[in-house]
Amino acid sequence: MAQYERYIRPKVAFFDFTSCEGCQLTVLDSLQTSPELLDMIEIVEFREAMSERSNEYQIAFVEGSCTRPADEERLKTIRSTASLVIALGACAHLGGINAIKNLRPLPEVRADVYGDKADWYDTYAARPISAVIDIDGFIPGCPIDRDEFIRVVKMLLQGRQPIIPDHPLCIECKLKENVCLYLRGKICLGPIVRAGCGAICPTYGDGCEGCRGLITNPNLDSMKMVLEEHGLSFEEVEQKLSMFMAYQTAGIKSEAEGATS
Amino acid sequence: MSYKIMPKSALNDWVQHLRQKFTIVAPKPKHGQFVFGEVTDASEFALDYPSTVLPPKKYLVPTQEELLSYSLDGSHFEMRTEPVPTVVLGVHTCDLHGIKLLDRIFSQGYTDTHYKTRRNSLYLVSYECFEPCTEHSFCRSMGTLSATDTFDLHIINLGEDFAFEIGTQKGESLLEGFQSIFNVTEVDIERINTVHQEKWQRFPYRLDFDVTELAELLTNSYTSTYWDELGDICLGCGMCTQVCPTCYCFDIHDEVDLTLDGGHRVRTWDSCQIRMFATVAGGHNFRAEQAARQRHRFMRKGKYQEDAYGLVGCTGCGRCAQACLVDITPVKTFNELYKRRNNIAEKETEAK
Repeated sequence: MAQYERYIRPKVAFFDFTSCEGCQLTVLDSLQTSPELLDMIEIVEFREAMSERSNEYQIAFVEGSCTRPADEERLKTIRSTASLVIALGACAHLGGINAIKNLRPLPEVRADVYGDKADWYDTYAARPISAVIDIDGFIPGCPIDRDEFIRVVKMLLQGRQPIIPDHPLCIECKLKENVCLYLRGKICLGPIVRAGCGAICPTYGDGCEGCRGLITNPNLDSMKMVLEEHGLSFEEVEQKLSMFMAYQTAGIKSEAEGATS
Repeated sequence: MSYKIMPKSALNDWVQHLRQKFTIVAPKPKHGQFVFGEVTDASEFALDYPSTVLPPKKYLVPTQEELLSYSLDGSHFEMRTEPVPTVVLGVHTCDLHGIKLLDRIFSQGYTDTHYKTRRNSLYLVSYECFEPCTEHSFCRSMGTLSATDTFDLHIINLGEDFAFEIGTQKGESLLEGFQSIFNVTEVDIERINTVHQEKWQRFPYRLDFDVTELAELLTNSYTSTYWDELGDICLGCGMCTQVCPTCYCFDIHDEVDLTLDGGHRVRTWDSCQIRMFATVAGGHNFRAEQAARQRHRFMRKGKYQEDAYGLVGCTGCGRCAQACLVDITPVKTFNELYKRRNNIAEKETEAK
């Protein structure tokens, strides 16, 4: 710290929208393993961990997806207050599992969840926060990877654009020398999903479900063919691709439809 | 060429003997396949194994390697190379050829200190293959079915005994001081010759042409539409390059400490199959399509590496073929290009 004596800790706030708050729990966890982070930042709002609130902050981490009209106003306030807004986790980054509901008619979904009180709630299609406000970066995953969180904070403090891998999980999985799950009779979305989690699911024998979202330019047609060759029906393939990526794949579909019409 | 004989029953004693001075790595079972990993007992590994997920190149170019550490004020700068003397047991001959190529790549022109230091502390004990290791291997076509001069010791399985071919003084030193090593007899030499002669018929040629024609074939196929066909089905997952014994591309990045006092420079494996590989400043990508990336990969394996280093870049190990989920394989690709070129040549002849 010696040469950075004049360093002023940036004020950091955490906010949550529709989510399980598991990513904020992971942040809390990472503060325990990397307490030196608190020498470098000043946390001014973090409902998961403290009572204080603040209207003054430079970096906002936002967990959760936008699922109500009221969320939009709050997101815009955060955007206008913070210099940097970072989407924290799959819900904020991709819409997350909340976006599964987008696949069905909204009244049906609301009736399923809220029964005869459905009219009381103004919930609408779930979207990533980037659909409402500009963001400066994102930390993918469900939940986020604690090491990646630390790395991103470091890069922000150094004034760098956070580097998030944009290559497929298979790259990372092979570095771990995992036997490909397809060779073990299982299926996995690794070839089209963003790496960076350390291939944690395949390492423990479970196929990737895509919580970190699609890589740029995924070969979805080829992936679907592989999944079908390995025994999945058309419906199962669609379900597989929409657990975490319903919003993303819907976007790709409408793009493709737009291109053909 | 000098040989020594060791009864198979002495294998574990030899492993224990080596462990006094070395870390031992060998093929260990993992989920129905094998991976090179540290062993402490002969019961933990198999010398007759099909293939490994990653080739032994990981001991020369680790998947992630700290190259140096530094302080941000410039007062401290330290290169990190402290490899542990390691014996790799059971290297297949294809992988020996792979390491021979890596040796040239990392020493020609600029010598890579980290590679060289690791290489010097690595003792390669290879193992003669008597059967094709997997349905995907095509070592005979690539000329890698025999040991090359890269090994320190080469093991030939003679049934009750192992014969050791001694390649270097490093290899010889692995047998020094071990009791159960015997001089070779004329009978042993005959047995060695017999197993060598008998093995060849078990390995089919899988390329439809001679490997010496490969580089020219690729040169003439540069504009083939086949690359677009590969590009359409390729997932771009990059497994092919990760498991390849001669792919060595890497990326280097700095990990600066949270306190901004210092940092580490880290080298990690990279892959020409991923979109960002050829993306440069300004976002321009000179291999933007997957077809161009696949073509680049096969040009490297069949031509570029040979042009630059005098050795074919593909060893025929079959790892990439086994890894590929959409069945893009060197054998299929090279044979298909050969067939198409011949078709074109025939049509040209007919036209005349």
